[in-house]
Amino acid sequence: MDIRESVLPGIGMKYVMDTASGDRMVVVIHDDGRRELYHFSYEDLDQSISMVTLEDPEARQLAALVGGMTYKPKQLERVEMAFDELTIEWYRIEPHYGCTGKTIGELNIRQNAGVSVIALLDKRNGKQVNPGPEAVLNAEATVVAIGEREQQKRFKQILMNGSG
Amino acid sequence: MIFEIGLALVLIALGGLISAKLRFSVIPFYILIGMAVGPHAMELWHFDFRFIDSAPFIDFMGRIGVLFLLFYLGLEFSVGRLIKSGRSIAVGGSIYIGINFTLGLMLGFFSGFPLAETLIIAGITTISSSAIVAKVLVDLKRTANAETEMILGIIMFEDVFLAVYISILSGFVLSDSSSIGGVLLSALVSLGFMLAVIILGRKAVPYLNKWLRIRSNELFALVIFGALFLVAGFSETIHVAEAIGALLVGLVLAETEHAKRIEHLIMPFRDFFGAIFFFSFGLSIDPMSLGGSAIWLALAAVIVTLIGNFSAGMLAGRTASLSPKASANIGLTIVSRGEFSIIMANLGKDGGLMEILQPFSAIYVLILAILGPLLTKQSKSIFTFLNRWIKFKDRKPGIQKEEAL
Repeated sequence: MDIRESVLPGIGMKYVMDTASGDRMVVVIHDDGRRELYHFSYEDLDQSISMVTLEDPEARQLAALVGGMTYKPKQLERVEMAFDELTIEWYRIEPHYGCTGKTIGELNIRQNAGVSVIALLDKRNGKQVNPGPEAVLNAEATVVAIGEREQQKRFKQILMNGSG
Repeated sequence: MIFEIGLALVLIALGGLISAKLRFSVIPFYILIGMAVGPHAMELWHFDFRFIDSAPFIDFMGRIGVLFLLFYLGLEFSVGRLIKSGRSIAVGGSIYIGINFTLGLMLGFFSGFPLAETLIIAGITTISSSAIVAKVLVDLKRTANAETEMILGIIMFEDVFLAVYISILSGFVLSDSSSIGGVLLSALVSLGFMLAVIILGRKAVPYLNKWLRIRSNELFALVIFGALFLVAGFSETIHVAEAIGALLVGLVLAETEHAKRIEHLIMPFRDFFGAIFFFSFGLSIDPMSLGGSAIWLALAAVIVTLIGNFSAGMLAGRTASLSPKASANIGLTIVSRGEFSIIMANLGKDGGLMEILQPFSAIYVLILAILGPLLTKQSKSIFTFLNRWIKFKDRKPGIQKEEAL
């Protein structure tokens, strides 16, 4: 991804970004605090298709929205965060899964799958950060595990079958 | 006296309001309002529209307006930014100045003016109005376009040219001597003065940073204004235009850590006295003097400017590999003329040059301050229209092709 930055003397700063979907997006930050977002189609880079002007507080609000700071994914089955090879994944435990009612220790998750469970979100027990081997995987709970892609795949199998 | 000033301010404000209503640039309206009144106007009951008593005072406020305009220009300007701006802008700026300055000189020369007047005319026709161009770009939502960097880069180049040109020209025009040696000497003095202030100013930045750490806004303003007027006044005593003195103070202060605070402090003063500057310029012009040769000269200059700016824009855009349409936008945006052309004309007046320069510059600026933004707005249809006669070959991004111009 490449964002070009340039100074507009007497006006402010300009950032040009060509998105993977083939659009061009231009953000102009005026010295008086206004922000302008322009949308160009890649076919005609001379004429913008649409634009929006934002006041400073609006722009900050939008930045938080776009940056994912206000909406935390609670019910998503899989949210991926990639740290090169390592990924963090969220799994929702469906009632028919084999693992329901068993503890992390019983399933021997770390030995069998290689992933590390870093959080357990459960309606009954609330949030558990770094749950121990005695923590029970109930239906409707969400498990967050960190590990490599292969390990995550094995973990999913364990959750569904209830055994390594 | 106060009453007359009040009347003038109300008129200026009225002009501004009308222009805002019509969505035009304010500059031509301030000038027109100034031209409408003046010694030829009448006295209505208590309202004296002739501004005879207050004329020197309004004139003085206008002079202060020039100081603030140039001071602000210096503050905004940064050498680092110019160096960073890149090769294509340097090339584009040089192309623009080269073409338009040459055309300006030719216009003066072929109209039979002496050298000093020719130099002033070339100055008037070369330098765009930064104020109008920046405002038009923002108003028309063009800031995101590809050609905007080039337009503002050319404007920045013109500012540098203006600074150097005024300092040389003021030595030439304002000096008392008539011999070539004397003229050269005073031009050298003013250039030397510029360099000395810039070099000393650079060295003084750490001290200025320390000295200007003043908590009280009132004292801060007094110190800044004191420095501004002192240096501007001093430069006049050595035959350097006071405007250059103001510009230099701005350039030096721009390098300090207080630049932003000074900008905020100066902006309202620049706007207020700037408006009076345009009004007082209008006031100094008798509408009756506008007829005759001044009009023809101004019209010729307008045509020369239009052609010169358009072709410079096309060439500059091409060197930066912009599309012909974007390149057309460059030329059609930088044709606006305003504050700097009038400052040039006033320099001629201060030097006692031919009187035709004043009405000439008035008509010229009025036309291009109104026409310029209109051309910018309609640049798309103008390009389509011109494209029918002259085929500007469209270029696919990344592939260089020749262009028919």
